[in-house]
Amino acid sequence: MHEGCQNPATCPMGRVLSRRPGWGAVPECNTGNPATTGKGTKTNVPSLRGDPRRRRSPLVHVAVGAVGVVLQVLTSGLMMGFVYALVAVGLSIIWGVMDVINFAHGEFLMVSMYSAFWLYTLLRLDPLFSWPIEMAIVFALGYLTYKVIIRRVVDAPGLAALLATFGLSLVLRNLAQFLWTPNYRFLNETLVTDKRLILGPVVLGMPQIVAAIGSVVMTILVFYFVQRTRMGRAIQATSLDKDAAKLMGIDTEKVYAFTFGLGGACVGVAGALLSSFFPVHPESGALYSLLAFVIVALGGFGNIKGALQAGVIIGVAEALGGFYLGTQFKYAVVFLIYLLVMQVRPSGLFGW
Amino acid sequence: MKKRCVWVVIGVVLATLLLLGGAAFPLGKSAALAAPQVVKIGAIFPLTGPAAATGVKLKYAVEVAQEIINGAHPEIAIPLAKDAGLPGLGGAKVEFVFADHQANPEVAKSEAERLIQNEKVVALIGCYHSSCTKPASQVAERYGIPFVAGSSSSAALTERGLKWFTRIAPNDDMETKFFFDYLKFLNQKYNAGIKRVGVVFIDNEYGVHAAEMVQKWIETYKKDGFELVALVKYPTTVSNVDTEVQKVKAARLDAIFHASYIGDMTLFVKKYKELNVVPKAVLSYCGGFQDPQFVINLGKDAEYFAGSNATTPALFAKMDVVKKINDLYKAKSGVDIDGPTIEDFSSAMIIADAINRAGSTDPVKVLDVLKTATFDAPYFVSGKVKFDAKGQNEYSASVMVQVLGGKYEAVWPEEFKTAEAVPAFPAWSAR
Repeated sequence: MHEGCQNPATCPMGRVLSRRPGWGAVPECNTGNPATTGKGTKTNVPSLRGDPRRRRSPLVHVAVGAVGVVLQVLTSGLMMGFVYALVAVGLSIIWGVMDVINFAHGEFLMVSMYSAFWLYTLLRLDPLFSWPIEMAIVFALGYLTYKVIIRRVVDAPGLAALLATFGLSLVLRNLAQFLWTPNYRFLNETLVTDKRLILGPVVLGMPQIVAAIGSVVMTILVFYFVQRTRMGRAIQATSLDKDAAKLMGIDTEKVYAFTFGLGGACVGVAGALLSSFFPVHPESGALYSLLAFVIVALGGFGNIKGALQAGVIIGVAEALGGFYLGTQFKYAVVFLIYLLVMQVRPSGLFGW
Repeated sequence: MKKRCVWVVIGVVLATLLLLGGAAFPLGKSAALAAPQVVKIGAIFPLTGPAAATGVKLKYAVEVAQEIINGAHPEIAIPLAKDAGLPGLGGAKVEFVFADHQANPEVAKSEAERLIQNEKVVALIGCYHSSCTKPASQVAERYGIPFVAGSSSSAALTERGLKWFTRIAPNDDMETKFFFDYLKFLNQKYNAGIKRVGVVFIDNEYGVHAAEMVQKWIETYKKDGFELVALVKYPTTVSNVDTEVQKVKAARLDAIFHASYIGDMTLFVKKYKELNVVPKAVLSYCGGFQDPQFVINLGKDAEYFAGSNATTPALFAKMDVVKKINDLYKAKSGVDIDGPTIEDFSSAMIIADAINRAGSTDPVKVLDVLKTATFDAPYFVSGKVKFDAKGQNEYSASVMVQVLGGKYEAVWPEEFKTAEAVPAFPAWSAR
């Protein structure tokens, strides 16, 4: 039996379910009468299943059910992948342009999620509308990070900048714990909370849909920003050759600071989007930043398109691997792919 | 020149301080041995890291225990509350020295060594995570000092044949049996029709062992019509639980046994709702569900989830002692005391009680008391704590609690119930 049907005896889905293993997502049904469930009803009855009155062999049912499960797993993975990609884009830009690995990237994400949380809790500003503020906050955080910390170590051997950002990550994480306690917090009544979209056998949570679409849009915007605008071209130039860019009159200091801010802005948006369905706590960014490292390595340093593609690969691999190999292996699959790619193509799948 | 002089002066001062510090230390130590004014006990908890939210509360509970022991609290009817300090040691005060294991077994081990070697603690309590309690208690074993675990529930801990280890919480072996008995009760009394059972568990000591216990007990309960149809294991840190819940859904479970912490548990509940997974019962091992934050975070979505618990605010009206302990605890933490917290509170009280009865901090004498005495623990429904040869508390202090109307109500065993159990989840849309 499932939502919407109060009586198991008359619930068609209940009976289909109990007879046929292998059914994945079950669409909502609106009536207890099996004869009318097939067509002409508002709640997207899956076209895949067709008319239940028609007789079909159990094998077909199992096959259709299996397809439903695959579709569900794939779309879930795809949507997470887009969010991973946006987090990775921020990391990738910084890495690609100034050769600095930002270890505090996950903490930037965490700061953004807390900003979304507090704006929502104190001012009732839904993350759906407050994301520009989070973007601005983390942009400023990134900009300041460059001006105060990275600027002093950017020309030192690579390890110095890495350690500096590592230190920053510890400071931010513990500061968050000190200021806001380590409690897991949730945004419970946002505009997207508990809303779902049911497409045939696939159930999509509205928070995830919004996060996925938002991430793709932001990724594309960043891509065009870097490709088309004056500042973007300055970033590209600086990334290719800092000294030459300087000779051409580009203020590389400004470009670096802006790039760090831009990287922050990406996670700023990602954090706002995540906050509607992921718990907010001092460590919430940690795993995302780890996955972002893998994605950047797969996609190629500084390659935005590559990060998007790699993000999707990782999201889908995690979902499929988790579902078919066992959920305990889902990150093992991700890191296995990473290891393999590093062996075959050290510059990343889409790197140059 | 001037600058160099300053450095020389600083250097001399530092060296002197070091020398004095080194000399003063052994003096203090020998004095302490003669007549202990302060008994130091190490308490290792996850004060930072993924379970920090819980760890901080455990720390408050142990601080409350310290306050009850060291201050005079004649209004609370538990051992050591009446007088200030430990009467058996001439009124010596107890100091709990806190250490943070960050949910990391390696850190737990090194912190245990640090507490024993540097802080000279006479006993250890902790560590909440079974995975951390394991190495920390092995350190205690090696140095020969008592370790009293409060809420760590992995049965493996008391199966290692350690001499110096004791544990208050019912282990997951006992809990699993308790769960099956509860399901049987639901089937018998309410005709709930529960058959297909699955375990969703975190990939660490606590979760893996809970799953093993279910695999063990299912053999006994097969005759009652139960079958184990899914084992869903997930990594200790997750960015999402989509695949896990899709697996649960595909298995069409009547009852889900959950071994999860608060963050992942909350993610699961949200995803169950999104993908419309409607089991009849969800029973949680001692972990995230028992944290009151579960109800705060999830609101009405937390309804009907159930689990074993050592206490619940609903029982405060029936048990005055718990209410008074809770008053002290709530003043610090702002929330009501929960099961794991009261178990770790108990571990602090019991070790202090044992030292008090031994009349000495001599580890052999303390261990002797721990292994032979029966301790009063009126804050548990069982009322007593007594450790068996393996160090396991023989008195299981659990009641089955279910979230009903936003409260953890005791629903089983029937003699302690504060509300009637709801034997099946309604549809998510009907909440």
